Amino acid sequence: MTQRTAVLNTQTHTTPLPMPQRNPQRPAWIRALDSNLTYQIGTFALFALAWQLYGTYWGGLLVPTFTETVIAFVELLGTGEFWEAMFISNQALFIGFALSIIIGVPVGVLLGRFRTMERYSDVYLNILLVTPMAAIIPLLIMSVGFGLLSRVILVTIFAIVMVIVNVRAGVRQVDPTLIQMARSFGASEREIWFRVLIPGALPSIMTGLRLGLGRAVTGMVIVELLMVSLALGGLILEFRGMFNGPGLYATIVAILIEALLLISLAHWLERKAAPWAPNNQKGRGSR
Amino acid sequence: MIEITGLGKTFTGQDGSAVRALDNVNLSVQDNEFLTVLGPSGCGKTTMLKMIAGLMPWDEGEISIAGNPVRGPGPDRSMVFQNFALLPWSTVLENVAFGLRLRGVSKSEREDRARELISMVGLTGFETKRPGELSGGMQQRVGLARALAVEPKVLLMDEPFGAVDEQTRRLLQEELLSIWERTKVTVVFITHSMEEAVLLGDRVVLMSARPGQISEIVPVPLERPRSSDVGGLERSKEYVEITAYLWERLREMHDEHRAKNPAALNGAGR
Repeated sequence: MTQRTAVLNTQTHTTPLPMPQRNPQRPAWIRALDSNLTYQIGTFALFALAWQLYGTYWGGLLVPTFTETVIAFVELLGTGEFWEAMFISNQALFIGFALSIIIGVPVGVLLGRFRTMERYSDVYLNILLVTPMAAIIPLLIMSVGFGLLSRVILVTIFAIVMVIVNVRAGVRQVDPTLIQMARSFGASEREIWFRVLIPGALPSIMTGLRLGLGRAVTGMVIVELLMVSLALGGLILEFRGMFNGPGLYATIVAILIEALLLISLAHWLERKAAPWAPNNQKGRGSR
Repeated sequence: MIEITGLGKTFTGQDGSAVRALDNVNLSVQDNEFLTVLGPSGCGKTTMLKMIAGLMPWDEGEISIAGNPVRGPGPDRSMVFQNFALLPWSTVLENVAFGLRLRGVSKSEREDRARELISMVGLTGFETKRPGELSGGMQQRVGLARALAVEPKVLLMDEPFGAVDEQTRRLLQEELLSIWERTKVTVVFITHSMEEAVLLGDRVVLMSARPGQISEIVPVPLERPRSSDVGGLERSKEYVEITAYLWERLREMHDEHRAKNPAALNGAGR
């Protein structure tokens, strides 16, 4: 968002040669979005060009050109195999992510609310945060097998830390006098959670969900690559085995696109959910 | 009606040192009285208020309201906070109705009541604004309306006008006086301003720090109602005398404190 405003500022202050197609009458946010989009498309075109050149002149068997990848991607979308893989992968993603919300939010609130609990839990959170999760995959398979359950568990483990840590941070920055105020009006602990802590932490909760979603996607792919060659991860392995470069890249692109769409959605929700938060307001200062 | 007897509290710091926050505080507040509590920072005045509110436990003594011992927050008391303590995500209307909502008052009923209070504090037209869109003075009006909405017998105010600018403060003081003259709620009002303590109070409780004790209770024989002519009141002989006396006493406390703790910096309360 800071980038966006920075772009705006340079335009309004320092451009003696404004781009002709831009109408200054349009609202600021459309212009900002516009300019952002221009830059994004520009950098993407540059990237695609470099890729195309590299693939054409230096790419071996496993580095297809950009256009080959695009064609393979379109073909991939036409196969039933791909959609089945998408379905299976996303099953684990959504169940796992939902679980990390259902468990992560209350745990985060609890840890943010009670300091002593935090002291005991910090070690485990750090373990979850820094341990390479791939290391526990064999452990998971031994205990719950190859099924949906183990994939769900892995996605949850990947995502839940981000949710917990952010919710905890959000709850902790809720003004303690608000809690006192609620108590002074006779609020129960439950009412404090639902009327003060959770609304107050909502911006951070939404951030946690967005970051957790990113980790969930990572978890989804990793588990399929390392544990059960299935669905999207399975497709990647299969294409690699057949030395099908374009197919391999196309699958990765599909995952990327899904991740980007999900993150944008989460970002949009984040801003929608707490319009009162200072970060989500534009040009609407307090008097 | 509020009876405080032998109230004491010792805080233990993280390094194990003990600080006597309140020591043998005895105080009784009459029905419909406007009591102001004045003292240097660290004298335990806010601590005492939070205890009356039922928000903080104490070590020794007893607090009772209308004969009932205080065990926690209750519907007979409500509090106005120094930093307003408004829910930033809620509108003015929802904030004013917050206490009623917690007490299970139906939506239509609590909104009607909230609108009444909003008009009483002069904020009609701002019902749908959020606190972030209001000035400090307006935010504290919301805080006051919220506290009054639950129809408390006792209004506990913790330096409520400490965070607003001087002009706004004057206006709020006048308005508080006129609201109190109409509602006749019992008020315990914490302040660090001598002028404010005298202007508003029937009696001024002067507290001293380390340990937090009541050092003197000074009656304020100024006529009521005071809201109509605050300016004239401030030029009156009694007003000038009492504020001068309070200042003298605060100064003595400060000097004593310094004599006992030569290391303490000038003006530092703790």
